[in-house]
Amino acid sequence: MNNPLLSISGLTVSFPYSRGRHRAVDDVSLDLSGGRSLGIVGESGSGKSLTALSVLNLLPVAARVDQGSVFYYPGSGKTLDLLKVPPRQIRQIRGNAISMIFQEPMTSLNPVFTCGDQVVEAIRTHQDYSYGQAKKQALKWFREVELPSPERIYKSYPHELSGGQRQRVMIAMAVSCNPSLLIADEPTTALDVTIQQSILQLLGGLKERYGMSLMFISHDLAVVSQVADDLAVMHQGRVVEKGTKEALLRDPQNDYTRGLMACRPPLDHRPQRLYTLADFTRDQRHAAPGPKNASTAGQKSAPTYGQKSTPPTGQISSFDSDPHDKPSSYSNELFSLRGLSKDFALKTNFWGKAVQQLRALDRVDLDIYKGQTLGLVGESGSGKSTLARVLLRLILPSEGLFRYQGGDVAEFGKKQMQAFRQQVQIVFQDPYSTLNPRLSTGSMISEPLRYYRYYTDRKQRRDRVMELLENVRLTPDYYNRYPHELSGGERQRVAIARVLALNPGFLVLDEAVSALDVSIQAEILNLLQELKSRYHLTYVFITHDFSVVRFMSDRIAVMKEGRVVETGAAEELFRSPSHGYTRRLLESIPSL
Amino acid sequence: MAQYFIKRILYAILILWGVATLVFVLFNVLPGDPARMLMGQRSDVASIQAIRKDLGLNRSKGLQYLKYLNDLSPVSYHSHEPSDYFYLDPDKYAPYTRLIKGKNNSLILKSPYLRRSYQSRKQVAGIIGQTLPNTFILAFSSIIFASLVGIFLGILAAIYKDTLFDRLSIFFSAFGMSLPSFFAAILIGWFFAFKLGDVTGLNLTGNLYEVDDFGRGVHLRLKNLILPALTLGIRPLAIVIQLSRNSMLDVLSRDYIRTAHAKGLAFPRVLFRHALRNSLNPVITAISGWFASLMAGIVFVEYIFGWKGLGYVIVDALNKYDLPVVMGVVLTISVMFIIINVLVDLTYALLDPRVRLG
Repeated sequence: MNNPLLSISGLTVSFPYSRGRHRAVDDVSLDLSGGRSLGIVGESGSGKSLTALSVLNLLPVAARVDQGSVFYYPGSGKTLDLLKVPPRQIRQIRGNAISMIFQEPMTSLNPVFTCGDQVVEAIRTHQDYSYGQAKKQALKWFREVELPSPERIYKSYPHELSGGQRQRVMIAMAVSCNPSLLIADEPTTALDVTIQQSILQLLGGLKERYGMSLMFISHDLAVVSQVADDLAVMHQGRVVEKGTKEALLRDPQNDYTRGLMACRPPLDHRPQRLYTLADFTRDQRHAAPGPKNASTAGQKSAPTYGQKSTPPTGQISSFDSDPHDKPSSYSNELFSLRGLSKDFALKTNFWGKAVQQLRALDRVDLDIYKGQTLGLVGESGSGKSTLARVLLRLILPSEGLFRYQGGDVAEFGKKQMQAFRQQVQIVFQDPYSTLNPRLSTGSMISEPLRYYRYYTDRKQRRDRVMELLENVRLTPDYYNRYPHELSGGERQRVAIARVLALNPGFLVLDEAVSALDVSIQAEILNLLQELKSRYHLTYVFITHDFSVVRFMSDRIAVMKEGRVVETGAAEELFRSPSHGYTRRLLESIPSL
Repeated sequence: MAQYFIKRILYAILILWGVATLVFVLFNVLPGDPARMLMGQRSDVASIQAIRKDLGLNRSKGLQYLKYLNDLSPVSYHSHEPSDYFYLDPDKYAPYTRLIKGKNNSLILKSPYLRRSYQSRKQVAGIIGQTLPNTFILAFSSIIFASLVGIFLGILAAIYKDTLFDRLSIFFSAFGMSLPSFFAAILIGWFFAFKLGDVTGLNLTGNLYEVDDFGRGVHLRLKNLILPALTLGIRPLAIVIQLSRNSMLDVLSRDYIRTAHAKGLAFPRVLFRHALRNSLNPVITAISGWFASLMAGIVFVEYIFGWKGLGYVIVDALNKYDLPVVMGVVLTISVMFIIINVLVDLTYALLDPRVRLG
C-alpha cells in the first residue's frame, strides 16, 4: 500500500447482550490510502457503521472496543492509534483531519441554531478565525457544495430546508476544515433518487478537488460503486470480502457478496422470481422463516461463506414475454379515477377557512385493472401516499370521480362500505411502527376475523390464522410471538398475513419493502408475487425504488407534484420513457 | 407574531368569560342565603330585605349575571338613575373614565369591580391588591428555586447516569413528589423554625413586611420567605429534577449531539450550547403546569406559615361564606394562570425556532 492514511486492524467491538457480549464488529481489518475512496457495503447489523464510528471514538456508550487498533498516518512519518489517543487529541482530529457525515440529514443538525452558525462553529473550533472570517469561509463552502442562495441558507434554520439541502449543509460543515478523510455513513439513504445522484456527484467532485480520502458506507452496492475505488463487504460484523471495485464486481469470490449482487431486482428485464441469499448458501438460516433475528443470532456462529460454491441452481425465467399480462387483459377495471384532486389546508384564517392550500393530488386519471399490479413511482412529496389513502377511502378527494367496480365510492352506504373495507387492504412501510407491540402475532392476525365475525368458533379461527401464517412462510410457533421478538422481514410477513385474513381482492403496498434489507426485500417480493397469483390479487405497489417497481409491476404510473405524468406498460416505460421527468429519474438510478 | 399574540389575547378573554360564568353558576347553585349569613342570628325581616336589595339578590338570576359581567368588564354600561340596578355609583367604580355620555346612561372605562366583601365591607379589589403581591412573591421564589436547583441537579444526574448521585436524586424526587405540602409545611416549620430556631434564626410564622416591636415602621423581612418558599418548592423541584434528567438523557442521544461531537467540540460546549436549549422545552411546560398546583398548595402553606396571601384570604372567606371575595380570588388566580401560559408559549418560540407562531 502506498501513501497509507488509515489502517484498521483486528477491530472488535461488542455490546452487552442478555448472556455475555454480542460482537457487533468482529476482527475487522481495512486499509485506506490517501486520495482513494473505500466503500463499505453491508446490510443492517453488519457492523459497518460501528466500524466507521470507532475511527473517531464516537461509539455509543454501551459499545466497547475489545481489541484492535485504528492507525492514522497524518503525514511526516507519524502514526497515531486513534483508539488510544487522549480525548483532547481526538477532539482536534474530529471535524478537522477526519470528519463525518451521517445518514439522517433531518436529525443530524441542531434544530435551534441556524445552519450558518453551525458551520461557523465547526470552523472556529479548529481554526483561529474571527466570526467575520469564519462566516466568509462558511459562505464559500456553501457555494462549494452548490447550495442555492448561500446567504439565505446561512440564516436559515434546519427545518426550513429540504433533506438534500440539509445534507449539503452537513457536507459543508464536514469539509470546512479541509479534512484528509471524510467518512460518509449512508449519506444518501434518506434522499430521493435524483438528489442522491447529485450528492454522489458532489462528494466525488470534492474528493478530486481537495484530494480527500473517502470512506463511504451504504447498504446499497450500486450506490457505493458510484464513488468507491475499493470495496469491502461486511456481514454480521465481519469483512467477508474486500478488493478493488473492478475486481470485486467482476468476479465476487464470496457467496454472500454474490447473493447481495443478485438479489437486487434487475432493471433490464423482469424475472419470475428474485434470487435470495438462500440460493447462494446452503445455510438454511437465510431461508425464511429464519431464526429470531439474523443480526443477533449470528454472534454464536456466523455462517461461514465458503469460497465460491457452485452457481445458483434453478433457472429463473423472464416474465416480460408472459402472455397473461398483455394489453388485451386491460379490460376489467377495478378502480377508475377521473380528474381526482385532493387539497390540504396549509393555513387557515380565524374562522377555520383555508386561505392557503396544498394540492396533493392534481386531476389524477388512473385505471387499476383486476389481477394486475400497478406500480406507482415518484419522489417524496409527489402524492403517492395521498393517492393510497384516497384509494382506501381513508380520506375523501376534494373533487373528481372515484369508482370502484363501477360504483361511485363517495356514495357508498354503510353496507357497501363494509364490503369495500374487507376487499381493500393496505400494507405500510415501517413494520416497526405498524404492529401493536402489545398484541401477539396470533391475536393481531385474528383481530379482523373477530371484528367481521368470520369464524365464531375459536378453533376454526385459530386454524385460519395458522393457515395464514403458513401462507406467509412463518411456522406455527410464531402464533404466540410479540412484535419485538420478530425481525423486520418477519414483521412485514405478519402485516401481510393480517391483511390477507379477510380474503381481500385488492392490496395497496405503500413502500412495503423500503425499510428492509435487500436480501429480505427479495424474499418479501417473491412472497408477494406468489400470493398474487395464488389469490388473484390486484396490487397497487407504491415505491420510490425503480428496480423494485420494475420487478413487481405490469403497468407503471409516474407521479410528480400531485400529477400522474406518465402511465404505461412497465416494459414499455422502461424501454422508452416518453416524459422528460421519467427519463431523468431513470438516469439517476445507480447501477453496478 | 403580532397576529399570534392578538389571537392568544382573544382566546384568553374567551377563557376568562368562561371562568367568570362558571364561578357565577357555581356560587349561585350553592345553598344558603348570603343576606342571612351576613346578619347572623339577630336578623329581622326588614334589614334582611334591605341587604338583599343592596346585593341585588331579589333580581332575576339573568339580570344578576348581566350585572356581574358588567361589573367585571373594563368597558361597562351604566345608568345615571340612582334607583336603577345598573346605577353608576361613583363610590363603586371610581376611578373611571367616561367614554360615551348619553342622556340617562353612559359607557365608562374602569378597572374591574369585584364588589365588596360581605364581611368587612371593603372592596374585594383592594383586598386582593394587598395580598396578591405576597402570594406572587412566594410562588415566584419557590418556582425560581425549584427551576434553578432542579435543572442543575437534573443535568448532573443525566451526566452521571447510574451513579450513586443519580440514584439519590431519583430517590429524592420520588420522595418529594409524594410528600403532601400541608405535611411538609408542618414538618419543615417544626424542624427549622422550632427545633433549630436558635441556629437558623427563622420564625415559625411571619410576613414579608412586619411592623417592628416599637411600632415605628414597616420592615422588609426576607428571611420569612425562606421556609414557605422551600416547602412550596419541594414538589416542583422533584418534578423538575426528573424531567430535566430524562429530557437531557433523551437529547444527549440525538443525532445532532453526535454531530456536535464529530465536529470536535469539547463536552461542556456540547452540553451547554447544543443540548441544554433543546432539553429545556418539556421542563418549561412542566414548570408552567406546576404553577396551577402551586396555587392549590399555597393555600395550606400560607395558612400554616401565617403568610398573608391569596390562599390565606380565600380560606378565610370560604369559612365566612364571603362570596365576593371567593369569586374575586378565583378570578384573579385564573387571570394569572392565563397570563403565565401566554408567557410560556412565547418563551417556547424564543427557545425553539421551529415553533414560529403563526
